Amino acid sequence: MSVDHTKCDITGVVERHIMIAVDTSDNARRAVLFVGDFFGCYEGFQVTLLHIILEPEATFFHDNDERQKWLADRLAEANKIMEEYKHILIDAGFPQDKVNVRIDTMRGPSIADCIIKEQEEMKCCTIVIGRRGISKKEEFIFGSTSNKIIHEAKKCAVLVIE
Amino acid sequence: METEALKDSETSYSKGELQDMIATYLGSDNVPQRFKIITDTSDFFRVDYNDVVILADVPYLMRNYTKEGRFGLDDEPKYWVRKAIDLKEQKAKIIKLVFHEEIEARVGDMVFKCVRSPGKEAAILEMVSGHKNFMQGIAIRDTAGNIVRILDFIQGKRLDELIIKLADKHEEFFYEHLPDYLAVYREMIKAIQFLHDKGQKHGDIRRDHILFDRNTGDYRWIDFDYDYYHEANMFGYDLFGLGNILVFLVGGGDLTIQTLQAGHSPFLEKLSPADMNIIFNNRVANLQKIYPYIPDALNYVLLHFSNGANLYYENTGQLLEDLAEVQIST
Repeated sequence: MSVDHTKCDITGVVERHIMIAVDTSDNARRAVLFVGDFFGCYEGFQVTLLHIILEPEATFFHDNDERQKWLADRLAEANKIMEEYKHILIDAGFPQDKVNVRIDTMRGPSIADCIIKEQEEMKCCTIVIGRRGISKKEEFIFGSTSNKIIHEAKKCAVLVIE
Repeated sequence: METEALKDSETSYSKGELQDMIATYLGSDNVPQRFKIITDTSDFFRVDYNDVVILADVPYLMRNYTKEGRFGLDDEPKYWVRKAIDLKEQKAKIIKLVFHEEIEARVGDMVFKCVRSPGKEAAILEMVSGHKNFMQGIAIRDTAGNIVRILDFIQGKRLDELIIKLADKHEEFFYEHLPDYLAVYREMIKAIQFLHDKGQKHGDIRRDHILFDRNTGDYRWIDFDYDYYHEANMFGYDLFGLGNILVFLVGGGDLTIQTLQAGHSPFLEKLSPADMNIIFNNRVANLQKIYPYIPDALNYVLLHFSNGANLYYENTGQLLEDLAEVQIST
């Protein structure tokens, strides 16, 4: 009898749906390589590459043209990197139809909040994220996305890739 | 001598009417004979002393620019922030003209990009209208669309000036004055919490950005036009500012390695790098080592802002919760 891995278990979590939260940094690439290396040769996994563009308030910009340019630049950058990441996963053995790409422009107090919100909506069983390796001072002032996810994500596993 | 006012746009006021209004406030001997009437403030350097700026049909007589003290440095002139007189209401105001500035903010050895956002300040002014712990004012677009902020003039001293005056003898200050100032501090955190709950950040929390309004007896946050791009925590920089203010309050000023060295303090050898402020490494954060009467509950809060901290406050609620445990009694 075959097992349908897209069916929910009793907690409502879709089995074997991995979310990789990425940006354009090297640590995000390491997270993608890790998932490709560890899970690419197995069947029954679905991966969503998630890139959040955290949009500042409109008042952050001088005018709407500057805002539109900022958004367009970020989106172009995200599209380019997501294409690369997608190919890394396909080359590692994931079927093309099991690799989803999602770029969301959102507003919120932190990227971690947006990632967790998306994880809850998509019911992914695992979040994979790269650690930036920021200094203690930077973490103190600007916070750490991976730490926040470790502390606040519920009903899922969190893999932090060094 | 030519005495015609120089107009850059049509307004509903004649020069004579404006001069009458100026005379009411300054006295007839002090009425300027030659001045510009300005409705487009794009070039704020063009706005001179005694010029009249018309905003939403209200004339403002421009006075001097303001200055801002930076610690250890001479006051820096802020040419875009002007003292002014609302000639209709005959009241003193502060007028902030638009200055789109990108600033490399330095915090310790960290540098990050900040912008000066008139729109952000205008949005917050509207949000905090009637709130006793914020400066009050309105934002008006001039004829060129610049968001000009017209602020009520606050008569009173900065919080840091008040503290420095009182804190000559620390133990006396600690027992006699600090409990009241901690109550003020909690009130000011709640005001920041109010902003955060509405999805805004102050952006430039410093001890000299709290003014005591002697007319109302309230403390008010000022200057919230700074903005910066955040990713991991929108409120972290505000909490950093709140922490610095607390360390300053409890210490009755900045307690630095240099001041301890100058006073040949016996406490110097007790201090380790973990006791210092996480960003400003010459300031002592673990103040209990210097002033042993600081209760554990208060020092526990201070330690969150030290090099030795492994846990940081992420929001104002966490900070308020720990401060609620603090009791100072003789």
